[in-house]
Amino acid sequence: MHIEIGEISKQFGTTAALLPVSLAIPSGALVALLGPSGSGKTTLLRILGGLEFPTAGRVLFDGADATNLTVQERRAGFVFQSYALFRHMTVFDNIAYGLNARPRAQRPPRDEMARRVTKLLELIQLPDIGARYPSQLSGGQRQRVALARALAIEPRMLLLDEPFGALDAKVRKELRQGLRDIHDTTGLTTVFVTHDQDEAMELADLVVVMSMGKIEQVGKPADIRARPATPFVREFIGV
Amino acid sequence: MGRPFIHRSSMPGLGLSMGITLTMLSLIVLLPIGALLLKGANYGLAGMWETVNRERVWTALFLSFRLSLFAAVFNLVFGVLLAWVLVRYQFWGRRILDAAVDLPFALPTAVAGISLTALYAPRGFFGQMAAEIGWKIAYTQWGIFIALVFVGLPFVTRTVQPVIEEIEREVEEASATLGASRLYTLRHVIWPMLTPAALTGFALALARAVGEYGSVIFIAGNIPLVTEIAPLLIIIQLEEFNYDAAAAIGIAMLLISFAMLLVINLIQVWSRRRIGYV
Amino acid sequence: MSNTSFTGSPTRFRSATEESAAARLVMIVFAFVGLTILVFAPLVAVFVVALADGVVASLKSLATRDARDAIRLTLTIAAISVPLNAIFGVAAAWFITKFDFRGKAFLITLIDLPFSVSLVVAGLCIVLMFGTNSFVGGWLVANGYPIVFALPGIILATMFVTFPFVARELIPVMIEQGRAEEEAALTLGASGWRVFFTVTLPNIRWALLYGVLLCNARAMGEFGAVAVVSGKIRGQTATMPTTIEMLYQEYLSVAAFSLAAVLAMLALVTLLLKTALEIRHADQLATTRRA
Repeated sequence: MHIEIGEISKQFGTTAALLPVSLAIPSGALVALLGPSGSGKTTLLRILGGLEFPTAGRVLFDGADATNLTVQERRAGFVFQSYALFRHMTVFDNIAYGLNARPRAQRPPRDEMARRVTKLLELIQLPDIGARYPSQLSGGQRQRVALARALAIEPRMLLLDEPFGALDAKVRKELRQGLRDIHDTTGLTTVFVTHDQDEAMELADLVVVMSMGKIEQVGKPADIRARPATPFVREFIGV
Repeated sequence: MGRPFIHRSSMPGLGLSMGITLTMLSLIVLLPIGALLLKGANYGLAGMWETVNRERVWTALFLSFRLSLFAAVFNLVFGVLLAWVLVRYQFWGRRILDAAVDLPFALPTAVAGISLTALYAPRGFFGQMAAEIGWKIAYTQWGIFIALVFVGLPFVTRTVQPVIEEIEREVEEASATLGASRLYTLRHVIWPMLTPAALTGFALALARAVGEYGSVIFIAGNIPLVTEIAPLLIIIQLEEFNYDAAAAIGIAMLLISFAMLLVINLIQVWSRRRIGYV
Repeated sequence: MSNTSFTGSPTRFRSATEESAAARLVMIVFAFVGLTILVFAPLVAVFVVALADGVVASLKSLATRDARDAIRLTLTIAAISVPLNAIFGVAAAWFITKFDFRGKAFLITLIDLPFSVSLVVAGLCIVLMFGTNSFVGGWLVANGYPIVFALPGIILATMFVTFPFVARELIPVMIEQGRAEEEAALTLGASGWRVFFTVTLPNIRWALLYGVLLCNARAMGEFGAVAVVSGKIRGQTATMPTTIEMLYQEYLSVAAFSLAAVLAMLALVTLLLKTALEIRHADQLATTRRA
């Protein structure tokens, strides 16, 4: 899905989290929002997901105005930094949650649901953990379950907030490839937030460098490396 | 060799603090409870059974338990609602409501008892209103129910409040991004998280209500077989110097308390297993 | 697409983690109405009935011999039982948090026990232990120390029901504070008492005050257990709550409610101080720190 962000700004009280920013995300791209904390990257991601509403500006999904769609109506697969798994549910129930929450008429039948969950567990390469609880999983496993849970609702896009933030260096490397593979398999437009420039450069097709509520530069990793647009970008990516 | 009973420590005051603790605990709590159990043992199981197994005693025990259960159910619903409102919403008067929840803990039971009676008696403020629709509250089981709701009010709210404060917003947001309506989120994500605390508060309110005396006797009317609560029976037996019978009923109530204490502990073990901690 | 189409201000939506405004309003109204009927109304009623014949009549009833004796007795009970329980609470918290021993969890359960025993049963236990026809009580009475139907019995009953208050507030606070500060003071050569008064006590003073406050409110208002052990002898063993009962049953409602109003004011002051402590020293109290 093609996403267009037009002149979006966000005030929290008197502080501006986002100055008016505009950005076009082509369908099927894997995009990194890169910047230090306080740069507005998470706010922008949450506005895309419908968790925050902009003070001004518009969001268009495939050309249609999505600004006023509620979070439920957006069908954005959102992976939280803390993963936000439901601790009282098994992995299976976590993944099936979005399907169970649908109105009865749209809910897939039980065996269809089980088939889909099993498929997702295979996709994240953890086929045998359906009966476990989140507290019995490692950090990396939790992250992948959160990803599977977001994919279960057949989202129109995938939004990830610091998806590797809570993991140690080794697991981080493995899961980067995992995300790339899942993106390539599903073909979903994917936006992830990170403060780690290596991660952004290695993984993304398109990198959006942000600072203090503004977009500093948008470009392919190689282009940004070769031609940093502003002194901030030069310093931040350390070339 | 097993573990030593007390590990060596560089801290001073072992003898003194242990001495004070164990002496006072024994003198004030354990020996008196022991005296009750000893009395029961001397009286014998058969004797105790004979005392308890009378219509008046069964009726009182059953009445106390049944009305306590109703009051605790009411407090479960209202207490969770109150906890949610107090933690999640900002509104004028929130601090006052929050402090008011503790009033039943702070207000002496005898004061609460006569005050509730004054309100719900046929000529009282609420009693008059109820009388107009032919509803009698004071001196009926309704009166006992209201007094028990009053004394049990803080338990559920106070156990659930900290749990609500700890819920991560991201979990609720995750539910919304997966397409769940607010009501579905409350029912399937929030409520299961609150269940152990709510049940603990429920059991505490129930335990308190079963043994409650001061706030109930004024409004109850104390009619044998109709509005006579179990603790009152103990007092009546004592006033007739019938110590054996008083001990028998006392032990029966003690067993109910212990059973509920056990239930509370089981709930906590169960919730720790089920939800676990990351 | 022209730039102007982006400048329209979007509709304000409620956040994903909020109920609708209508649902919130309904729940807040429920909370207000419920607490008004259940809590505020009984509180107000105490003062309304107490002042039914005017302030003068109310004050006069408090000046009667019965009322004065009851107030004096209740103050005496609190003055003896609260400090004793505070000492117990500190000692128990010290023992439990500064040493490692087997059966600690069991000991904590035993300390909490009075909370789950009916007050009447608590009174009954004291009567059976120290009453004239028990072994201990009989011996004490024969030697001129009656416990039941006398001040010592009332104090024992009061201490039984308020037993856990101080300890239960202190234990979590002292567990969290650990032993490092005390150990540091010991290595610097301080004596045990010095460590307690200069290191431990300043760290737990607000929690201690909090526990004492609740203990005191309960001690002065205790009725169920005291009703059983006191015998309610006017001028001798009638406390404020038992005197309220006697006056009420003699249909002296102004007198009963005036005395009740005094206790209600005590409850209000307790709540006020408690709330103030929770706001100003929240970080040093167990009760408010669970979050």
